[in-house]
Amino acid sequence: MASMLMSLGHDEEAFGHFGATGSYALAARRAMHEFRTGPETWQHIAVGQRKWANLNPAAMMHDRTMTYDEYMNARWLVEPFRLFDNCLVSDGGRAYIVTTAERARDLKQPPVLIAGMGQKNPASYPESASYFAGPTGAKEAGDRAFRMAGITRDDIDACEIYDCFTYTVEITLQDYGFFAPGEGNNWFQNGTIEPGGRMPVNTSGGQLSEAYLMGMTPLTEGVMQLMGRCGARQLGPQTQTKEPVHILCSDNGGILQCNTTIVLRKA
Amino acid sequence: MTLYTKPLPRINDDTRPFWEGCRAHELRVQKCTACGHVRWPASIICPQCHSRKTTWITVAGTGTVYSFVVYHVAFHPAFRDDLPYVVAVVELTEGPRIFTNIVECSPEAVTCDMPVEVAWDDVTNEVTLPKFRPV
Repeated sequence: MASMLMSLGHDEEAFGHFGATGSYALAARRAMHEFRTGPETWQHIAVGQRKWANLNPAAMMHDRTMTYDEYMNARWLVEPFRLFDNCLVSDGGRAYIVTTAERARDLKQPPVLIAGMGQKNPASYPESASYFAGPTGAKEAGDRAFRMAGITRDDIDACEIYDCFTYTVEITLQDYGFFAPGEGNNWFQNGTIEPGGRMPVNTSGGQLSEAYLMGMTPLTEGVMQLMGRCGARQLGPQTQTKEPVHILCSDNGGILQCNTTIVLRKA
Repeated sequence: MTLYTKPLPRINDDTRPFWEGCRAHELRVQKCTACGHVRWPASIICPQCHSRKTTWITVAGTGTVYSFVVYHVAFHPAFRDDLPYVVAVVELTEGPRIFTNIVECSPEAVTCDMPVEVAWDDVTNEVTLPKFRPV
């Protein structure tokens, strides 16, 4: 894994550029130049997701709370990313079973429907990328997934967003159209994505605070929420959130080089 | 020359003209002779028109900082003494972007869109790295 990450690109390690943190930080820095974003925005993502992890006994960070001060006082790794802008490093496993809706009816567990999916891969070498500050693949992938599901963004009750870094959550939600470029700071204020918030995001704690299981972290959480298997963090009355019918899930790869969006629907 | 312990570029047939240029203190990138697109990194076909007709051109060695980050962690021990150091993507005047370091400038003073020029760093007898400094 280390050698894979070390050789993501060409010869950039000769300049001391290694791994995903540095490249996503380059994307985030360009975004800071093009619209209003930065740690003041990302703190809401790190702290908000941690609150969900505190309700999730399986989360690596279940027993550790996080304040805005703790986020801001954490050490820099690759500026503008501090420690808590980065996802966890985890060993673990997740699985889901995909079958037809007809077969699923006879199974023991309640099924969840895949209502729509979309994929957009604006892949190019990171240094020649035009999508550092958006639009990433999430924009077109999201539009396709909504179209297939026959719904709009207003029908989404919660989001499970691939969150390798805090900025990834912001740019993905921004590209889905939840807020205009630079308005994320305002949108995230007052606990929007937290328990009790109007748009719960990464309700397991996500890769930042539950576990990094690649795209499985967001997708399986979306499925489990719609199955009603999430215990103390279950969306609905017990977390003062809307009982979910549609959950929007994202996965992305490379340095924002590809995106897959899936709309899940309660059966 | 003291022992150089940092990673060196893995020069191959695609990138050899670039690194030979650096050694001669000339910044070279590829140009499509079918559509004129100037590109970096090196590739065997043009990403704009898919032509394989390619030539190498020498560019001015000037540009602007497209984006930059400041490393506060040494992911390779040989960079420990350099911390904090700046890695940047510089947009060359001719269009393409290139990974590099910003040198002769404190990390706090670097900004996006800042004008820069190439600053050659002869790190070994065979390899010269194209770094950039403020103009």
